[in-house]
Amino acid sequence: MEYENRTVPEGINVSKENPLKDFFILAFGLGAAVVTLVVVLSFLAGCLVQFVPFETEVMLTEKFSFSEFMESEMHEEKQNEQQKAQQLEEEKKQQKITAYLQNLANQLATAQQLPEGMFITTHYIDTDTVNAFATLGGNIIIFRGLIEKLPNENALAMVMAHEIAHIKHRDPMVAAGRGLTVALALASLTGFGDGQVAQQLLNNVGLITTLSFNRNQEEKADAEALNTLLEYYGHAKGAEVLFEILENEQAGSTPPLFLSTHPLNENRINTIKHYHQQQSPQNELTALPELF
Amino acid sequence: MYDLIIFLTLMALGYIFGRIAEARHFKSIMDREKQYQHILTFSERFPPSGVSRVNSELVGGNVVISVDYFKRIVAGLRGIVGGQLTSYESLLERARREAILRMKETAKNMGANMVVNVKLETASISKGKKQQVGSVEVYAYGTALIPKTP
Repeated sequence: MEYENRTVPEGINVSKENPLKDFFILAFGLGAAVVTLVVVLSFLAGCLVQFVPFETEVMLTEKFSFSEFMESEMHEEKQNEQQKAQQLEEEKKQQKITAYLQNLANQLATAQQLPEGMFITTHYIDTDTVNAFATLGGNIIIFRGLIEKLPNENALAMVMAHEIAHIKHRDPMVAAGRGLTVALALASLTGFGDGQVAQQLLNNVGLITTLSFNRNQEEKADAEALNTLLEYYGHAKGAEVLFEILENEQAGSTPPLFLSTHPLNENRINTIKHYHQQQSPQNELTALPELF
Repeated sequence: MYDLIIFLTLMALGYIFGRIAEARHFKSIMDREKQYQHILTFSERFPPSGVSRVNSELVGGNVVISVDYFKRIVAGLRGIVGGQLTSYESLLERARREAILRMKETAKNMGANMVVNVKLETASISKGKKQQVGSVEVYAYGTALIPKTP
């Protein structure tokens, strides 16, 4: 028997295929799987979270003080007597404004037939931000910047009714529930979630104030708000002014945050104008109180 | 965001340098395999019949090769769905052939013309956190047959 070592042909144990191909197939495949999972989870969470009672929602936000928005803007210089008096006056004025807004919200909530057990809490923030939003626990935050731009109470009522409609439809809860579910799922998938992350997310849920709603939710809230105005004032005049203002605002350098997912303003204005034509055109607009 | 940039940089570095190192290593392996082809290696436990008047000596050669970052990530992804771990196949191939070459070199320096009873041991070393394989060690050893000079 002859013994010899022949040269072994190459390419048997090592594939000639570029490893990048393998990587991209894997990365895109798994990416698609994760996206599907997130979409499905988010949909299921949206369906289920509507059954969470409103009291639970309120409980989640109890710990969080909305006045924190303001404190960041306040200057901490030492004040003399005169400034203190001025500040006191400011505070009184703010209390009056908050009371007025709360009163308006309550009336609109009644007009909108908010389900029993639900209530609205308004917060007035004394900054230039042109914004207003609804968040968990029936809290509505309105910024001075927006109110200053509004010509009459009808427009303000439109903003409020829109935000109340979000709360009535449980939109903040759905958005928060979806966000939380997806965040938890991703945390446990990637292995960051050793339980602590989940706990932290739950504890801070009250801090979530920048919830985003989708276009469908916005349109529903618009329709509901118009009906509310009709119920409250007997007409829906003045509502379109809000969107005209927002559109002008958008044309400027800084678009307000809450516009990002909102339906195109032009469409909204047309919808509202169409709404008017069905009503009698001679309707009085209600003025805003002197407070602003 | 910074994490992503760091991640992508490491991936690119791992890919580029890993590819260069691998191509260079394979070329060197093929060259040296030709160079040491006259030293025969067999896995048989006993010398071929007809071989006599030899001294026998234990020879071995070992090598440690590290996996690059890119391969580690690809292997991690592959570990989720399963399948052929091609990114590690070339790593082990390189290690085995290099270890045998080093063993042959030792044998040649001893004046041997044949190594019998060749065996290979593989061990993964430096398992980092999460038990990721960092590098692989292959040890090749056998009995070198050195002809007795009369």
